[in-house]
Amino acid sequence: MQNEGRTGLKSSALVLPALALVTLFLLAPLGLIARYSLDQFDPVKLMLGVFQLDNYAKAFGDPFYQRVLATTAQIAGLSTVIVVLLAFPVAYCISRVQTERIRSLLMILTILPLLLGNAVRSAAWMVVMGTKGVANSMLLGLSLVDEPLKILYTPTAVVIALVSVLLPYAIITMQSVIDSIPKSLEEAGQSLGYSPFRTVLSVVLPLAMPGVVAAAAICFALGMNAYATPVLIGGPKMQMMGPLVYEQIAKVSNWPFGSTLACILMAATVVLTVISTSYLTRRYF
Amino acid sequence: MDRINPGRVAFLTLVSAIFAFVLLPLVAIVWAAFFSDKILTFPPSGYSLSWFSRAWALSEFSSGFIMSLQVGILATVFSLLLGVPASLAIERFPFKGRETVRQLLLSPMYVPAIVAGAAVYIYFIQIEIFTDVQVAGTSPGLVIAHTLVALPWTMRLICASLVTANSSSEEAARSLGANGFQTFFLVTLPIIRPGIIAAAMFSFIASFSDLEKSLFLVGPGKATLPIAIVNYLEWNLDSTIAAVATVQIFIIGAALLLSDRYVKLGKAF
Repeated sequence: MQNEGRTGLKSSALVLPALALVTLFLLAPLGLIARYSLDQFDPVKLMLGVFQLDNYAKAFGDPFYQRVLATTAQIAGLSTVIVVLLAFPVAYCISRVQTERIRSLLMILTILPLLLGNAVRSAAWMVVMGTKGVANSMLLGLSLVDEPLKILYTPTAVVIALVSVLLPYAIITMQSVIDSIPKSLEEAGQSLGYSPFRTVLSVVLPLAMPGVVAAAAICFALGMNAYATPVLIGGPKMQMMGPLVYEQIAKVSNWPFGSTLACILMAATVVLTVISTSYLTRRYF
Repeated sequence: MDRINPGRVAFLTLVSAIFAFVLLPLVAIVWAAFFSDKILTFPPSGYSLSWFSRAWALSEFSSGFIMSLQVGILATVFSLLLGVPASLAIERFPFKGRETVRQLLLSPMYVPAIVAGAAVYIYFIQIEIFTDVQVAGTSPGLVIAHTLVALPWTMRLICASLVTANSSSEEAARSLGANGFQTFFLVTLPIIRPGIIAAAMFSFIASFSDLEKSLFLVGPGKATLPIAIVNYLEWNLDSTIAAVATVQIFIIGAALLLSDRYVKLGKAF
Protein backbone atom coordinates (compact mmCIF):
# COMPACT_ATOMS: atom_id res chain seq x y z
CA MET A 1 0.00 0.00 0.00
CA GLN A 2 2.69 2.41 1.08
CA ASN A 3 4.70 1.52 -1.97
CA GLU A 4 1.74 2.26 -4.24
CA GLY A 5 1.30 5.65 -2.61
CA ARG A 6 4.95 6.44 -3.24
CA THR A 7 4.82 5.48 -6.93
CA GLY A 8 1.68 7.60 -7.22
CA LEU A 9 3.52 10.58 -5.78
CA LYS A 10 6.54 9.95 -7.95
CA SER A 11 4.55 9.65 -11.17
CA SER A 12 2.58 12.82 -10.47
CA ALA A 13 5.83 14.73 -9.90
CA LEU A 14 7.12 13.43 -13.24
CA VAL A 15 3.92 14.06 -15.18
CA LEU A 16 2.72 17.34 -13.70
CA PRO A 17 5.03 19.82 -15.48
CA ALA A 18 4.06 18.51 -18.93
CA LEU A 19 0.40 18.32 -17.92
CA ALA A 20 0.54 21.91 -16.63
CA LEU A 21 1.93 23.13 -19.96
CA VAL A 22 -0.86 21.44 -21.94
CA THR A 23 -3.56 22.58 -19.52
CA LEU A 24 -2.39 26.18 -19.23
CA PHE A 25 -1.45 26.82 -22.84
CA LEU A 26 -3.79 24.59 -24.84
CA LEU A 27 -6.88 23.56 -22.89
CA ALA A 28 -7.39 26.92 -21.16
CA PRO A 29 -7.03 28.90 -24.44
CA LEU A 30 -9.51 26.54 -26.14
CA GLY A 31 -11.93 27.07 -23.26
CA LEU A 32 -11.47 30.81 -23.64
CA ILE A 33 -12.35 30.86 -27.35
CA ALA A 34 -15.36 28.60 -26.68
CA ARG A 35 -16.57 31.28 -24.26
CA TYR A 36 -15.76 34.18 -26.61
CA SER A 37 -17.59 32.50 -29.47
CA LEU A 38 -20.78 33.27 -27.49
CA ASP A 39 -19.86 36.91 -26.95
CA GLN A 40 -20.82 39.88 -29.10
CA PHE A 41 -18.36 42.00 -31.11
CA ASP A 42 -18.24 45.72 -30.40
CA PRO A 43 -16.08 48.03 -32.56
CA VAL A 44 -15.07 50.14 -29.54
CA LYS A 45 -15.07 47.80 -26.54
CA LEU A 46 -14.12 44.71 -28.62
CA MET A 47 -16.52 42.52 -26.63
CA LEU A 48 -19.64 43.13 -24.57
CA GLY A 49 -19.40 40.16 -22.19
CA VAL A 50 -22.77 38.67 -23.12
CA PHE A 51 -23.88 35.12 -23.87
CA GLN A 52 -25.72 34.53 -27.14
CA LEU A 53 -25.65 32.33 -30.24
CA ASP A 54 -25.75 35.09 -32.89
CA ASN A 55 -22.23 34.31 -34.14
CA TYR A 56 -23.17 30.71 -34.84
CA ALA A 57 -26.37 31.88 -36.55
CA LYS A 58 -24.23 34.21 -38.69
CA ALA A 59 -21.69 31.51 -39.56
CA PHE A 60 -24.36 29.04 -40.68
CA GLY A 61 -27.02 31.52 -41.89
CA ASP A 62 -25.21 34.32 -43.73
CA PRO A 63 -24.90 33.39 -47.45
CA PHE A 64 -21.26 34.55 -47.61
CA TYR A 65 -20.14 32.33 -44.72
CA GLN A 66 -22.34 29.48 -45.93
CA ARG A 67 -20.43 29.64 -49.19
CA VAL A 68 -17.07 29.63 -47.39
CA LEU A 69 -18.15 26.57 -45.39
CA ALA A 70 -19.40 24.84 -48.54
CA THR A 71 -16.19 25.63 -50.48
CA THR A 72 -14.08 24.36 -47.58
CA ALA A 73 -16.06 21.11 -47.32
CA GLN A 74 -16.02 20.60 -51.11
CA ILE A 75 -12.28 21.20 -51.51
CA ALA A 76 -11.46 19.05 -48.47
CA GLY A 77 -13.90 16.33 -49.59
CA LEU A 78 -12.70 16.13 -53.19
CA SER A 79 -9.05 16.12 -52.08
CA THR A 80 -9.81 13.35 -49.57
CA VAL A 81 -11.43 11.10 -52.21
CA ILE A 82 -8.46 11.50 -54.57
CA VAL A 83 -5.96 11.02 -51.72
CA VAL A 84 -7.59 7.78 -50.55
CA LEU A 85 -7.62 6.36 -54.09
CA LEU A 86 -3.94 7.23 -54.65
CA ALA A 87 -2.67 6.32 -51.18
CA PHE A 88 -3.93 2.73 -51.13
CA PRO A 89 -1.67 1.34 -53.90
CA VAL A 90 1.36 3.15 -52.44
CA ALA A 91 0.63 1.94 -48.91
CA TYR A 92 0.16 -1.62 -50.21
CA CYS A 93 3.43 -1.41 -52.15
CA ILE A 94 5.46 -0.15 -49.14
CA SER A 95 3.87 -2.74 -46.90
CA ARG A 96 4.75 -5.63 -49.22
CA VAL A 97 8.34 -4.59 -50.02
CA GLN A 98 10.58 -7.31 -48.64
CA THR A 99 13.96 -5.58 -48.76
CA GLU A 100 14.33 -3.62 -45.53
CA ARG A 101 16.52 -0.94 -47.15
CA ILE A 102 14.06 -0.19 -49.95
CA ARG A 103 11.22 -0.12 -47.46
CA SER A 104 13.11 2.34 -45.26
CA LEU A 105 13.91 4.51 -48.30
CA LEU A 106 10.26 4.56 -49.37
CA MET A 107 9.23 5.54 -45.83
CA ILE A 108 11.72 8.44 -45.84
CA LEU A 109 10.45 9.59 -49.25
CA THR A 110 6.91 9.49 -47.86
CA ILE A 111 7.67 11.25 -44.58
CA LEU A 112 10.09 13.92 -45.85
CA PRO A 113 7.47 16.04 -47.69
CA LEU A 114 5.17 15.76 -44.67
CA LEU A 115 7.84 17.22 -42.41
CA LEU A 116 8.89 20.09 -44.67
CA GLY A 117 6.02 22.27 -43.57
CA ASN A 118 3.29 23.93 -45.57
CA ALA A 119 5.26 27.06 -46.50
CA VAL A 120 7.94 25.21 -48.46
CA ARG A 121 5.48 22.79 -50.04
CA SER A 122 3.26 25.61 -51.26
CA ALA A 123 6.31 27.43 -52.62
CA ALA A 124 7.25 24.27 -54.53
CA TRP A 125 3.80 24.03 -56.13
CA MET A 126 3.93 27.71 -57.06
CA VAL A 127 7.19 27.05 -58.94
CA VAL A 128 5.46 24.23 -60.81
CA MET A 129 2.14 25.95 -61.51
CA GLY A 130 3.15 29.59 -62.09
CA THR A 131 2.75 31.27 -65.51
CA LYS A 132 6.47 30.77 -66.12
CA GLY A 133 6.60 27.62 -64.05
CA VAL A 134 7.64 24.09 -64.92
CA ALA A 135 4.21 22.93 -66.09
CA ASN A 136 3.65 25.85 -68.47
CA SER A 137 7.21 25.79 -69.80
CA MET A 138 6.79 22.12 -70.64
CA LEU A 139 3.39 22.62 -72.28
CA LEU A 140 4.70 25.58 -74.31
CA GLY A 141 7.91 23.76 -75.18
CA LEU A 142 5.98 20.77 -76.47
CA SER A 143 3.63 23.17 -78.32
CA LEU A 144 0.64 21.66 -76.56
CA VAL A 145 -0.66 25.17 -75.75
CA ASP A 146 -0.09 28.54 -77.44
CA GLU A 147 -0.08 30.69 -74.33
CA PRO A 148 0.56 29.83 -70.65
CA LEU A 149 -2.39 28.20 -68.89
CA LYS A 150 -3.72 29.88 -65.78
CA ILE A 151 -3.28 27.08 -63.26
CA LEU A 152 -2.26 28.96 -60.12
CA TYR A 153 -5.04 30.74 -58.19
CA THR A 154 -7.77 28.29 -59.30
CA PRO A 155 -9.72 25.79 -57.15
CA THR A 156 -8.18 22.97 -59.23
CA ALA A 157 -4.71 24.15 -58.21
CA VAL A 158 -5.75 24.11 -54.54
CA VAL A 159 -7.05 20.53 -54.85
CA ILE A 160 -3.85 19.39 -56.63
CA ALA A 161 -1.61 20.96 -53.97
CA LEU A 162 -3.80 19.75 -51.10
CA VAL A 163 -3.76 16.18 -52.46
CA SER A 164 0.03 16.21 -52.38
CA VAL A 165 0.02 17.67 -48.85
CA LEU A 166 -2.40 15.03 -47.54
CA LEU A 167 -1.08 11.96 -49.39
CA PRO A 168 1.75 11.15 -46.91
CA TYR A 169 -0.68 11.13 -43.94
CA ALA A 170 -2.98 8.71 -45.76
CA ILE A 171 -0.10 6.49 -46.90
CA ILE A 172 1.39 6.02 -43.42
CA THR A 173 -2.04 5.49 -41.84
CA MET A 174 -3.03 2.80 -44.36
CA GLN A 175 0.42 1.22 -44.51
CA SER A 176 0.41 0.45 -40.78
CA VAL A 177 -2.95 -1.33 -41.13
CA ILE A 178 -1.93 -3.28 -44.25
CA ASP A 179 1.27 -4.32 -42.41
CA SER A 180 -0.87 -6.16 -39.89
CA ILE A 181 -2.68 -8.22 -42.54
CA PRO A 182 -0.91 -11.59 -42.81
CA LYS A 183 0.56 -12.27 -46.22
CA SER A 184 -0.67 -15.87 -45.95
CA LEU A 185 -4.22 -14.65 -46.59
CA GLU A 186 -3.13 -13.32 -49.98
CA GLU A 187 -1.36 -16.58 -50.75
CA ALA A 188 -4.58 -18.38 -49.89
CA GLY A 189 -6.45 -16.14 -52.32
CA GLN A 190 -3.92 -16.79 -55.06
CA SER A 191 -4.02 -20.53 -54.48
CA LEU A 192 -7.76 -20.32 -55.19
CA GLY A 193 -6.82 -18.99 -58.59
CA TYR A 194 -7.43 -15.28 -57.94
CA SER A 195 -5.31 -12.86 -59.95
CA PRO A 196 -3.05 -10.61 -57.80
CA PHE A 197 -5.35 -7.67 -58.56
CA ARG A 198 -8.45 -9.57 -57.51
CA THR A 199 -6.68 -10.85 -54.38
CA VAL A 200 -5.92 -7.29 -53.28
CA LEU A 201 -9.46 -6.17 -54.06
CA SER A 202 -11.28 -9.01 -52.34
CA VAL A 203 -8.86 -9.99 -49.56
CA VAL A 204 -6.63 -7.05 -48.61
CA LEU A 205 -8.99 -4.13 -49.21
CA PRO A 206 -11.83 -5.36 -46.96
CA LEU A 207 -9.36 -6.06 -44.14
CA ALA A 208 -7.69 -2.68 -44.66
CA MET A 209 -10.99 -0.78 -44.53
CA PRO A 210 -10.41 0.53 -40.96
CA GLY A 211 -7.18 2.12 -42.20
CA VAL A 212 -8.92 3.54 -45.26
CA VAL A 213 -11.73 5.11 -43.22
CA ALA A 214 -9.30 6.47 -40.62
CA ALA A 215 -7.08 7.95 -43.33
CA ALA A 216 -10.10 9.57 -44.98
CA ALA A 217 -11.23 11.13 -41.68
CA ILE A 218 -7.72 12.44 -40.91
CA CYS A 219 -7.29 13.89 -44.41
CA PHE A 220 -10.71 15.54 -44.41
CA ALA A 221 -9.95 17.17 -41.05
CA LEU A 222 -6.54 18.40 -42.22
CA GLY A 223 -8.04 19.62 -45.50
CA MET A 224 -10.71 21.67 -43.72
CA ASN A 225 -8.08 23.28 -41.50
CA ALA A 226 -5.66 24.05 -44.34
CA TYR A 227 -4.19 27.55 -44.27
CA ALA A 228 -1.09 27.93 -46.45
CA THR A 229 -2.44 26.06 -49.48
CA PRO A 230 -5.62 28.15 -49.94
CA VAL A 231 -3.76 31.41 -49.22
CA LEU A 232 -0.78 30.85 -51.52
CA ILE A 233 -2.12 28.50 -54.20
CA GLY A 234 -5.74 29.68 -54.13
CA GLY A 235 -4.97 33.39 -53.99
CA PRO A 236 -7.10 36.12 -52.43
CA LYS A 237 -10.35 35.01 -54.07
CA MET A 238 -10.17 31.52 -52.59
CA GLN A 239 -12.20 31.75 -49.39
CA MET A 240 -11.71 28.86 -46.99
CA MET A 241 -12.18 28.48 -43.23
CA GLY A 242 -8.51 28.48 -42.15
CA PRO A 243 -7.57 31.81 -43.75
CA LEU A 244 -10.89 33.28 -42.58
CA VAL A 245 -10.11 32.45 -38.93
CA TYR A 246 -6.77 34.24 -39.28
CA GLU A 247 -8.35 37.25 -40.96
CA GLN A 248 -11.14 37.64 -38.37
CA ILE A 249 -8.86 37.34 -35.34
CA ALA A 250 -5.53 38.84 -36.37
CA LYS A 251 -6.62 41.42 -38.95
CA VAL A 252 -10.20 42.50 -38.17
CA SER A 253 -9.90 41.80 -34.41
CA ASN A 254 -13.44 40.40 -34.36
CA TRP A 255 -12.61 37.90 -31.64
CA PRO A 256 -16.14 36.60 -31.03
CA PHE A 257 -16.80 35.72 -34.66
CA GLY A 258 -13.24 34.50 -35.25
CA SER A 259 -13.58 32.30 -32.16
CA THR A 260 -16.89 30.96 -33.50
CA LEU A 261 -15.26 29.94 -36.80
CA ALA A 262 -12.36 28.37 -34.88
CA CYS A 263 -14.82 26.45 -32.66
CA ILE A 264 -16.67 25.15 -35.73
CA LEU A 265 -13.37 23.87 -37.16
CA MET A 266 -12.49 22.38 -33.77
CA ALA A 267 -15.87 20.62 -33.48
CA ALA A 268 -15.57 19.17 -37.00
CA THR A 269 -12.03 18.02 -36.21
CA VAL A 270 -13.07 16.39 -32.93
CA VAL A 271 -15.85 14.43 -34.68
CA LEU A 272 -13.45 13.29 -37.43
CA THR A 273 -10.76 12.41 -34.89
CA VAL A 274 -13.21 10.29 -32.92
CA ILE A 275 -14.16 8.50 -36.15
CA SER A 276 -10.54 7.86 -37.07
CA THR A 277 -9.45 6.74 -33.59
CA SER A 278 -12.42 4.41 -33.29
CA TYR A 279 -10.99 2.63 -36.32
CA LEU A 280 -7.37 2.86 -35.28
CA THR A 281 -5.48 2.59 -32.04
CA ARG A 282 -2.77 5.06 -33.04
CA ARG A 283 -2.56 8.22 -35.04
CA TYR A 284 0.40 9.33 -37.01
CA PHE A 285 0.62 13.10 -36.93
CA MET B 1 6.91 -14.02 -58.31
CA ASP B 2 9.72 -11.97 -59.76
CA ARG B 3 9.16 -12.63 -63.43
CA ILE B 4 8.02 -9.63 -65.40
CA ASN B 5 4.31 -9.51 -65.87
CA PRO B 6 2.23 -6.63 -67.25
CA GLY B 7 0.08 -6.25 -64.14
CA ARG B 8 3.11 -5.89 -61.91
CA VAL B 9 4.73 -3.37 -64.24
CA ALA B 10 1.52 -1.32 -64.39
CA PHE B 11 1.26 -1.36 -60.59
CA LEU B 12 4.86 -0.26 -60.03
CA THR B 13 4.45 2.47 -62.68
CA LEU B 14 1.37 3.77 -60.87
CA VAL B 15 3.15 3.84 -57.51
CA SER B 16 6.19 5.59 -59.01
CA ALA B 17 3.93 8.16 -60.66
CA ILE B 18 2.28 8.94 -57.30
CA PHE B 19 5.68 9.35 -55.63
CA ALA B 20 6.75 11.59 -58.51
CA PHE B 21 3.63 13.71 -58.07
CA VAL B 22 4.53 14.40 -54.43
CA LEU B 23 8.29 14.74 -54.89
CA LEU B 24 8.74 16.46 -58.27
CA PRO B 25 7.62 19.92 -57.07
CA LEU B 26 10.32 19.69 -54.40
CA VAL B 27 12.89 18.70 -57.02
CA ALA B 28 11.73 21.63 -59.17
CA ILE B 29 12.17 24.19 -56.39
CA VAL B 30 15.65 22.89 -55.48
CA TRP B 31 16.56 23.03 -59.19
CA ALA B 32 15.23 26.60 -59.48
CA ALA B 33 17.50 27.72 -56.64
CA PHE B 34 20.49 27.33 -58.96
CA PHE B 35 19.18 29.23 -62.03
CA SER B 36 21.12 32.24 -63.22
CA ASP B 37 18.12 34.03 -64.81
CA LYS B 38 16.64 36.99 -62.93
CA ILE B 39 13.10 35.95 -63.86
CA LEU B 40 12.16 32.36 -63.18
CA THR B 41 12.00 30.47 -66.51
CA PHE B 42 12.21 26.78 -67.27
CA PRO B 43 14.59 25.58 -68.50
CA PRO B 44 17.21 28.11 -67.32
CA SER B 45 19.78 29.76 -69.58
CA GLY B 46 22.54 29.05 -67.05
CA TYR B 47 23.34 28.20 -63.47
CA SER B 48 24.56 30.24 -60.51
CA LEU B 49 24.93 30.06 -56.74
CA SER B 50 24.27 33.76 -56.20
CA TRP B 51 20.67 33.32 -54.94
CA PHE B 52 21.84 31.78 -51.70
CA SER B 53 23.93 34.82 -50.80
CA ARG B 54 21.17 37.15 -51.99
CA ALA B 55 18.65 35.32 -49.77
CA TRP B 56 20.99 35.58 -46.79
CA ALA B 57 21.47 39.31 -47.51
CA LEU B 58 17.72 39.89 -47.16
CA SER B 59 17.22 40.54 -43.45
CA GLU B 60 13.80 38.86 -43.32
CA PHE B 61 15.36 35.55 -44.31
CA SER B 62 18.56 35.71 -42.29
CA SER B 63 16.80 36.88 -39.13
CA GLY B 64 13.90 34.47 -39.78
CA PHE B 65 16.35 31.62 -40.10
CA ILE B 66 18.13 32.54 -36.87
CA MET B 67 14.82 32.97 -35.07
CA SER B 68 13.51 29.58 -36.26
CA LEU B 69 16.77 27.95 -35.23
CA GLN B 70 16.70 29.50 -31.74
CA VAL B 71 13.02 28.81 -31.13
CA GLY B 72 13.38 25.28 -32.50
CA ILE B 73 16.34 24.45 -30.24
CA LEU B 74 14.68 25.93 -27.12
CA ALA B 75 11.37 24.18 -27.85
CA THR B 76 13.22 20.88 -28.33
CA VAL B 77 15.09 21.24 -25.04
CA PHE B 78 11.92 22.13 -23.10
CA SER B 79 9.87 19.40 -24.71
CA LEU B 80 12.54 16.83 -23.76
CA LEU B 81 12.75 18.20 -20.19
CA LEU B 82 8.96 17.86 -19.84
CA GLY B 83 8.36 14.86 -22.10
CA VAL B 84 11.03 12.40 -20.93
CA PRO B 85 9.91 12.39 -17.25
CA ALA B 86 6.24 12.24 -18.29
CA SER B 87 6.90 9.30 -20.65
CA LEU B 88 8.86 7.55 -17.90
CA ALA B 89 5.94 7.91 -15.48
CA ILE B 90 3.43 6.66 -18.05
CA GLU B 91 5.44 3.62 -19.14
CA ARG B 92 7.24 2.66 -15.89
CA PHE B 93 5.09 3.70 -12.92
CA PRO B 94 1.51 2.73 -13.72
CA PHE B 95 -0.93 5.11 -12.06
CA LYS B 96 -4.64 5.69 -12.21
CA GLY B 97 -5.83 7.57 -15.28
CA ARG B 98 -2.54 7.20 -17.11
CA GLU B 99 -4.28 6.60 -20.46
CA THR B 100 -6.13 9.90 -20.04
CA VAL B 101 -2.86 11.64 -19.18
CA ARG B 102 -1.22 10.08 -22.25
CA GLN B 103 -4.03 11.30 -24.50
CA LEU B 104 -3.87 14.78 -22.96
CA LEU B 105 -0.13 15.03 -23.57
CA LEU B 106 -0.58 13.87 -27.18
CA SER B 107 -3.56 16.18 -27.72
CA PRO B 108 -1.57 19.16 -29.11
CA MET B 109 -1.15 16.96 -32.19
CA TYR B 110 -4.90 16.57 -32.69
CA VAL B 111 -5.88 20.23 -32.30
CA PRO B 112 -5.80 22.00 -35.68
CA ALA B 113 -2.79 24.32 -35.79
CA ILE B 114 -4.79 27.32 -36.96
CA VAL B 115 -7.34 26.87 -34.12
CA ALA B 116 -4.64 26.38 -31.49
CA GLY B 117 -2.73 29.40 -32.82
CA ALA B 118 -5.82 31.62 -32.67
CA ALA B 119 -6.75 30.40 -29.18
CA VAL B 120 -3.26 30.87 -27.74
CA TYR B 121 -3.00 34.34 -29.31
CA ILE B 122 -6.28 35.49 -27.71
CA TYR B 123 -5.25 33.89 -24.40
CA PHE B 124 -1.87 35.67 -24.40
CA ILE B 125 -3.51 39.03 -25.04
CA GLN B 126 -5.94 38.38 -22.18
CA ILE B 127 -2.98 37.60 -19.91
CA GLU B 128 -1.47 40.91 -20.96
CA ILE B 129 -4.70 42.77 -20.19
CA PHE B 130 -4.91 41.25 -16.70
CA THR B 131 -1.24 41.32 -15.68
CA ASP B 132 0.37 43.97 -17.90
CA VAL B 133 2.95 41.36 -18.95
CA GLN B 134 3.30 41.10 -22.70
CA VAL B 135 3.39 37.49 -23.97
CA ALA B 136 1.99 37.60 -27.49
CA GLY B 137 4.66 38.80 -29.91
CA THR B 138 7.52 37.92 -27.55
CA SER B 139 10.08 35.15 -27.84
CA PRO B 140 9.01 33.38 -24.60
CA GLY B 141 5.43 33.27 -25.92
CA LEU B 142 6.60 31.76 -29.19
CA VAL B 143 8.81 29.22 -27.39
CA ILE B 144 5.85 28.13 -25.20
CA ALA B 145 3.69 27.59 -28.29
CA HIS B 146 6.46 25.69 -30.07
CA THR B 147 7.13 23.50 -27.02
CA LEU B 148 3.48 22.44 -27.35
CA VAL B 149 4.06 21.65 -31.04
CA ALA B 150 7.08 19.52 -30.12
CA LEU B 151 5.78 17.75 -26.98
CA PRO B 152 3.59 15.08 -28.68
CA TRP B 153 6.50 14.02 -30.92
CA THR B 154 8.74 13.67 -27.87
CA MET B 155 6.07 11.72 -25.99
CA ARG B 156 5.37 9.37 -28.88
CA LEU B 157 9.02 8.53 -29.60
CA ILE B 158 10.18 8.26 -25.97
CA CYS B 159 7.18 6.11 -25.00
CA ALA B 160 7.78 3.84 -28.00
CA SER B 161 11.43 3.55 -27.02
CA LEU B 162 10.57 2.74 -23.37
CA VAL B 163 8.06 0.08 -24.43
CA THR B 164 10.63 -1.68 -26.65
CA ALA B 165 13.40 -1.40 -24.03
CA ASN B 166 13.10 -4.24 -21.57
CA SER B 167 12.63 -2.96 -18.01
CA SER B 168 14.48 -5.95 -16.50
CA SER B 169 17.89 -4.21 -16.46
CA GLU B 170 16.27 -1.36 -14.54
CA GLU B 171 14.81 -3.84 -12.06
CA ALA B 172 18.23 -5.48 -11.74
CA ALA B 173 19.83 -2.11 -10.98
CA ARG B 174 17.18 -1.41 -8.33
CA SER B 175 17.63 -4.80 -6.68
CA LEU B 176 21.39 -4.17 -6.56
CA GLY B 177 20.67 -1.07 -4.49
CA ALA B 178 20.65 1.76 -7.04
CA ASN B 179 18.20 4.53 -6.20
CA GLY B 180 15.69 6.00 -8.66
CA PHE B 181 18.02 8.69 -9.97
CA GLN B 182 20.98 6.35 -10.38
CA THR B 183 18.78 3.83 -12.19
CA PHE B 184 17.48 6.50 -14.53
CA PHE B 185 20.79 8.15 -15.38
CA LEU B 186 22.97 5.02 -15.44
CA VAL B 187 20.57 2.44 -16.88
CA THR B 188 17.39 3.84 -18.47
CA LEU B 189 18.92 6.86 -20.17
CA PRO B 190 21.64 4.93 -22.04
CA ILE B 191 19.03 2.37 -23.16
CA ILE B 192 16.63 4.95 -24.58
CA ARG B 193 19.35 7.20 -26.03
CA PRO B 194 18.40 6.42 -29.67
CA GLY B 195 14.78 7.28 -28.84
CA ILE B 196 15.86 10.57 -27.27
CA ILE B 197 17.91 11.54 -30.33
CA ALA B 198 14.98 10.73 -32.63
CA ALA B 199 12.60 12.62 -30.34
CA ALA B 200 14.90 15.65 -30.40
CA MET B 201 15.14 15.54 -34.21
CA PHE B 202 11.38 15.24 -34.73
CA SER B 203 10.62 17.89 -32.10
CA PHE B 204 13.04 20.27 -33.79
CA ILE B 205 11.59 19.55 -37.22
CA ALA B 206 8.03 20.05 -35.97
CA SER B 207 8.97 23.43 -34.51
CA PHE B 208 11.20 24.54 -37.39
CA SER B 209 8.57 23.86 -40.06
CA ASP B 210 5.57 25.20 -38.11
CA LEU B 211 3.71 27.98 -39.87
CA GLU B 212 0.16 28.18 -38.57
CA LYS B 213 0.81 28.52 -34.84
CA SER B 214 3.60 31.05 -35.20
CA LEU B 215 1.52 33.13 -37.60
CA PHE B 216 -0.47 34.67 -34.75
CA LEU B 217 2.36 34.87 -32.25
CA VAL B 218 5.32 36.59 -33.92
CA GLY B 219 5.62 40.25 -33.04
CA PRO B 220 5.34 43.07 -35.59
CA GLY B 221 8.34 43.13 -37.93
CA LYS B 222 9.50 39.71 -36.73
CA ALA B 223 9.08 36.39 -38.51
CA THR B 224 10.14 32.77 -38.33
CA LEU B 225 11.53 31.30 -41.55
CA PRO B 226 8.22 29.72 -42.74
CA ILE B 227 6.40 33.02 -42.12
CA ALA B 228 9.09 34.96 -44.00
CA ILE B 229 8.63 32.51 -46.88
CA VAL B 230 4.85 32.98 -46.97
CA ASN B 231 5.11 36.80 -46.74
CA TYR B 232 7.63 36.87 -49.58
CA LEU B 233 5.53 34.52 -51.74
CA GLU B 234 2.52 36.80 -51.58
CA TRP B 235 4.37 39.26 -53.81
CA ASN B 236 7.29 37.43 -55.43
CA LEU B 237 8.19 34.11 -56.96
CA ASP B 238 11.86 33.88 -57.92
CA SER B 239 15.06 31.94 -57.38
CA THR B 240 15.65 33.72 -54.03
CA ILE B 241 12.67 31.97 -52.46
CA ALA B 242 13.75 28.73 -54.12
CA ALA B 243 17.15 29.09 -52.42
CA VAL B 244 15.50 29.65 -49.02
CA ALA B 245 13.21 26.65 -49.51
CA THR B 246 16.20 24.55 -50.57
CA VAL B 247 18.03 25.39 -47.34
CA GLN B 248 14.97 24.35 -45.31
CA ILE B 249 14.57 21.13 -47.32
CA PHE B 250 18.20 20.18 -46.69
CA ILE B 251 18.13 20.98 -42.96
CA ILE B 252 14.99 18.90 -42.41
CA GLY B 253 16.22 16.14 -44.73
CA ALA B 254 19.48 15.92 -42.77
CA ALA B 255 17.62 15.76 -39.45
CA LEU B 256 15.38 13.01 -40.84
CA LEU B 257 18.29 10.94 -42.15
CA LEU B 258 20.07 11.34 -38.82
CA SER B 259 17.07 10.10 -36.86
CA ASP B 260 16.63 7.21 -39.30
CA ARG B 261 20.01 5.91 -38.12
CA TYR B 262 18.70 5.68 -34.55
CA VAL B 263 15.11 4.50 -34.90
CA LYS B 264 13.45 2.54 -37.66
CA LEU B 265 11.12 5.16 -39.13
CA GLY B 266 8.77 2.48 -40.39
CA LYS B 267 8.26 1.39 -36.80
CA ALA B 268 8.47 4.69 -34.96
CA PHE B 269 6.01 6.58 -37.08
